Amino acid sequence: MTALVVALLFASAPEPTVSHRRVVASDGASLALYRYLPPGKGEGRSPVLLVGEIGFGRPLFDLHREGLARWLAARGYAVYVAELRGQGKANAGASLRAWIHLDLPAIARVIAAEQSEPIDLVAHGWGGTLALAAAGRELPVRRVVALSTPVEAEVPSALAGAFLAEGGHFSDFAASPGGAWDFELLFAMETKFPPQTLEALRALGTRDLSSGQAAEWLAWMRLGDLPLDDGTTVRSRLLDFDRPTLLFLALGDGFAGPELCAPLRDTSKAAVRLRTFSRFETGDDFSHVSLLLGAKAPSRVFPELEAFLRGEGKTP
Amino acid sequence: MRWIALACALAISSCAATRFVPLPPEAETHRAKTDDGWEISLTRYRPSGAPTGLPVILCHGISANARNLDLDERHSLARWLAAHGREAWTMSVRGAGDSDGIDEEKGRHPPITFDSYWRFDLPGVIRHVREVSGAPAVDYVGHSMGGLVAYAYLSQGGQGLNAVATLGSPTRLDWGTGLETWLHSIAPKLVSPDLMIPSALGAHAAAPFQALVDDGPFQRFFYNPQSSTTASWQRLLAYGTADVAGGVALQLIGMLDGGRFQSLDCTLDFKKDMARITTPVLVVAARLDRVALAPGVKDGYRALGGPKEWLVITRANGAKGEYGHMDLLIAERAADEVWASVLRFLDGHAPR
Repeated sequence: MTALVVALLFASAPEPTVSHRRVVASDGASLALYRYLPPGKGEGRSPVLLVGEIGFGRPLFDLHREGLARWLAARGYAVYVAELRGQGKANAGASLRAWIHLDLPAIARVIAAEQSEPIDLVAHGWGGTLALAAAGRELPVRRVVALSTPVEAEVPSALAGAFLAEGGHFSDFAASPGGAWDFELLFAMETKFPPQTLEALRALGTRDLSSGQAAEWLAWMRLGDLPLDDGTTVRSRLLDFDRPTLLFLALGDGFAGPELCAPLRDTSKAAVRLRTFSRFETGDDFSHVSLLLGAKAPSRVFPELEAFLRGEGKTP
Repeated sequence: MRWIALACALAISSCAATRFVPLPPEAETHRAKTDDGWEISLTRYRPSGAPTGLPVILCHGISANARNLDLDERHSLARWLAAHGREAWTMSVRGAGDSDGIDEEKGRHPPITFDSYWRFDLPGVIRHVREVSGAPAVDYVGHSMGGLVAYAYLSQGGQGLNAVATLGSPTRLDWGTGLETWLHSIAPKLVSPDLMIPSALGAHAAAPFQALVDDGPFQRFFYNPQSSTTASWQRLLAYGTADVAGGVALQLIGMLDGGRFQSLDCTLDFKKDMARITTPVLVVAARLDRVALAPGVKDGYRALGGPKEWLVITRANGAKGEYGHMDLLIAERAADEVWASVLRFLDGHAPR
C-alpha cells in the first residue's frame, strides 16, 4: 500500500501530446508550428498561440520539457508555438515585415482550421510586438498576454545596439570569451536563472539573424518605427491595438526595458493591465527570458498569465 | 545563546560603519528664508580653483536629508562637483535635516506637503544662492523626489534654473507591483497629513544590523551590492535619513491613482504642464531601481517639453555594476558612471 502511495506521488504528470507541422506561407517560405494538446483529450479548451522573440525558437517556451507550452497544455489549453522565418526550423528571412504580412496569417489559418474557439495570444519581446501589430488584422486574436513587448522602439542599450550592428549573430556569444556574460546581461540580467539553462537556451533556442533582419531590426530601433508594406507602420498599428491585454514588465530586461513596453497602456486603445515583479517583493526582478524560463516563472508569471486567459483576476 | 552573542558582536562591530562623519571644515552652513517664513538649511561647498560654471543646487529625495549629497569624503556629489570647479549647495527640504520643521508656537503649521517644497523651499533656496554667489542663474541636481521638485517648479513657470539633472525621479508609480497595492490601500488609513512619519528613527535603529543580512530584500530595494557597500548604506541610514511628512507621503501616494503627478488640491497638473518647460533636463534612471522604476522615470522624460537627454545606468551601457535607487548617490563608482555624465550635461548647457 505504502509503495503504491509513493508510486502515485512520484508518478510523472501526464504529458501533453506534442506534434509538429510545416506551414507554408503564401510566398512559399516554410514555417514551423508545434501543437501541444492537453493529456487525455482530443482538443484543448481554447487555443493559445505563443510568439517569441526574434531569433529565438521553440525552446523559449519548451526547454528540456519545461516551459510555458507544457505548463498551459497541462491545464487544458491547446497550445501552438510558432516558429516564424528566422526562428528555429523556419526558413531564414530577409525582412521582419514578412512576419506580419505573410507568416502570422499563415499560422492563423492553420489554427483556425483546427479550432473553433478564438485564439489567445502570448507575445514575447520584439517578436511579440510584431504579433501585436498584426493582432486584430492579419492575426485574429481575443486576448493578449504580452511579455516585455516594446511599443516605443529605441536602441535599448549600447550592448544591444552593438549586437545588432554586428549582424545579430547569437553564435558569437559562444565564440567570444565574454560572450556568455553579454548574453546573460542582455537576456537574463541578475535574475533567477540557472546558468546551465541559460546556456542551453542560447545553444538550442537561438539562431543567427540574417543580415537583412538584423539591419531592419536596428533601423526600427533607431528610427522609432518600422514601415510596413501596406502603408501602415508598426507604431501606427500599435496606436490602434485594442485587444484586452495583460502586460508583464521585467525590471532586469537589458533587451526590451520596461520603459519601452509600458507605454502600451497609454498609447493604444486597448485595456491594458500591467504587472511588474521586483526582487524586493517576489524575490526576482525578472528579465527578458526569465519571464518564460526563469526559476520563478512557473510560480509567479504563469499562474497570473493563465488566470488572465481564463478571464479571471482584475479586468484591465 | 551563541547566535545572540554573535548577532550582538556583529552589531557592535558594525556600529563603526554607522559613525557620524562630520561635514568637512570648508563647508559653510547657510539658511535661506522662504516666502512663508520657514528657514531652509543649506551647505555651501566652494569650488577648488576658479569656478568653471554656475553654482549647482543639490536636493535629496523623500525620507532623506542633505547628507545624501555628502555622505563622506568618498561618497559626496557635492564635494565632487566642487572639486570639478562647481560651487555646490546642498539643501534639506522643510522638516528634514537642519531645516525648520513644524512648530505651531512659531507659526509653522502643518501640513508639510510636496507643494510646500516647490512653491516655497526651492524658490527661497534659488534666491539665496543667487544672492550669495552673485550668479545670474543656477544649475540643479535632484535625486528622486528632489527631481520632482524641479519638475513641479519649472512646470509652473519657476525661474532661475539654467539646467537640471534628475536622478531616479519617477512621475508615475503605478506599475502593477504588490507594494503599490499595499501602499494604496493601507497607507492612507495609517498616515495623517499633519504628522511626521518617524522613518528616520526606524532607519537609525536598523543601521547597525544591516551587516547581519547579506543581500537581503530590504537592502536590494534601495541599493545594489554590486555598486555600493554595506558600510555606505549604514551611514546613509544613520545620518542621511529624515522623517517623512504625512502630507508629502499622501500626495505622492496619490500618484498611484492613474499615474497623476499633480498638486495636492488637484488644480495643477504638473505632468501636463511639464510640456511647457524649456530648461534643459538630463533624466537619469537606474536599470535595477526598485523604488523609481525605469518606466516611471521615463514617464517624466516624455513629459518634458524642452531640450532633454535620457540616460540609463546599466552594465549594458558600460557601467561596471547594476544600480539601484540609492546607488546613484553612494555607489563606489558613481563619480565615473553617473556624476560625470551629469557634469558633462550641465557644462554643455552653460550660458553663453
